Amino acid sequence: MRSRPRPLLGRSLLRLFTVQGSWNYERMQGIGVGVAEEPLLRDLQEAGDGVAYRAAVARGAHFFNAHPYFCGLAVGAAARAEHDGVPPEQVERLRTALCGPLGSLGDRLVWAGWLPFTSGLAVVGVALGFGMPAVLGFLIVYNVGHVALRWWALRAGWTYGARVALALHQPLLQRAVAWSGPAMALAVGAALPLAARALALPFAGWARSALLAAALVGFVLLWLSRGRLTGLRFGLALLALAALVGWLWR
Amino acid sequence: MSLEVQLLLLLWGTLVGLDLVSVPQIMIARPIVAGPIAGALLGDVRTGLEVGVLFELFQYDVLPMGATRYPEYGPATVAAVSAAHAAAGAPGIGLGALVGLVTGMLGGASLHVLRRLNAGAVRVAAGALEAGDARVLMHVHVMCIVRDGLRAALVTAVGLALAEAVRFVAGALSVRGVTLLGVAAVAAAVAAASAGTLRVVGRGPSLPWFIAGVLGGALMAWVR
Repeated sequence: MRSRPRPLLGRSLLRLFTVQGSWNYERMQGIGVGVAEEPLLRDLQEAGDGVAYRAAVARGAHFFNAHPYFCGLAVGAAARAEHDGVPPEQVERLRTALCGPLGSLGDRLVWAGWLPFTSGLAVVGVALGFGMPAVLGFLIVYNVGHVALRWWALRAGWTYGARVALALHQPLLQRAVAWSGPAMALAVGAALPLAARALALPFAGWARSALLAAALVGFVLLWLSRGRLTGLRFGLALLALAALVGWLWR
Repeated sequence: MSLEVQLLLLLWGTLVGLDLVSVPQIMIARPIVAGPIAGALLGDVRTGLEVGVLFELFQYDVLPMGATRYPEYGPATVAAVSAAHAAAGAPGIGLGALVGLVTGMLGGASLHVLRRLNAGAVRVAAGALEAGDARVLMHVHVMCIVRDGLRAALVTAVGLALAEAVRFVAGALSVRGVTLLGVAAVAAAVAAASAGTLRVVGRGPSLPWFIAGVLGGALMAWVR
C-alpha cells in the first residue's frame, strides 16, 4: 500500500463544491468527480508512477451520477482503491456500483428531507413575522448539515476504500434517513397554511373566496395529472385566465 | 430604478443561478433566500420576503433528481421581486409571479442547452481526458462553470428586462384585473406546493406527520 495523501482531503473537499459544474448528458458528474479526485491521486505521480496517475485521473473522469453531496464518498473510495493497487476494472465497477445507492440515499436524505425540512421552517418563520433572521437561520442550519455531510462522505470514502458500502450502514446515517421524511412532512405541512394565510392577507371578500376555490381546483388538477401538469404550467395558465377575466370584467 | 441597482440585481441573479447546479450549492438559489436579498438590494425587504415565500411554494413542486428537467426559480425570483417592487402589495405579487414563472421556464430550458453544450466540450476534449491529462480536465471543468455563469447572467438579464416591460403594462390594468392576477399567483403556488409535497410524502409513514403539520399550521394561522 502506498502513502495516503490525507492533507489533500481539504483541497478535494473544496473541489467537491463544484462537482456539478461540468454536468452534461454524457458523463453527467464524471468530469467534476475527476477534478475532485485528482488532488488525492497526486502522490502517485510524486512517487514516480506517472502512468498510474494518468490512468487513475482518466478513470476518475468517466461517467458518474449520484447525489452531489455524496460524491465525496465515491471520490474518496476510488482514490483510496487506486492507492491500494486495486485492479482498474474493479475501481470502475466500484464507481458504477455506487451511483444508484448514493443517488437514492442523497435524494431521500437531502432533496426530499433536509432541504425541504429546513426551508419549511424558514417559510414558517417568515410567515410568523421573523423576516430576515428566519432566512439567515435557514442558510446557516442547512449548510451546517450540508458541509458536515460532504466532509463525512469524503472521509468515509477515503477510510473504507473498496469496502465503502460499510460506511452506508452507519447507524447515525440510517437514523437520519428514517427521520428526514417525517420531519420534512411536518415542517412543510405546517408551512403551507401559514404561508397561504400570509400571502392572502392583502386580499379581502370575493378575492379570498376565489383564491380558496382556485387553490382547491389547482390541487385536484395537479394531483390527478401527475407527470403531465406541473406547478409552473398550471401557474402560467391560471395567470393567463386571470388576465383574461380581468380584461373582460372591468 | 438606478443602473447601479439593476447591475447589483444582475450580479445577485448570476450568483443565484450558479448556485443551483454548479457551485457551491449552498442554497442561495432557493427563492426564500434569493427573494429577500433581492428585496434588500431594492430597499424593499418586505416584497422580497413575500415573493420569496410565493416562489418557495412553487419550488416544492420540483425535485431536482438526476437528469430531470425542471424550472429554475432562483434568477426568476430575483426578476419577480424587481417586478413586484414597482407595484408593491397585492398588485405586485401577481405581476411578479407572471415575470418569475416565465423567467423560471426560460431558466429551465437554458439548463438543458447548457448541458448539451457541456457534452460537446467534453467530446472535443475526449482524447486528452482519456490520456489522463489533468490540465485539460481542469480546463474543461472551469469553462463549463464559466458557461453556466454566462447562462445565469443572461437568464437574469432577460428576467429583469421582462420586469421593466411589465411595469409599463401594469398601468393599463384595472384594479380588479391586478387583484385577479395576485389571487391566481397565490392560488397556483399553494396548489403546486400542496400537490408537490403530498407526492413526495406519499401514503407511507410520513403521511400522518404531514397531516399533523397542516393541522398545526392551520391552528397557528387561525390563532394569529
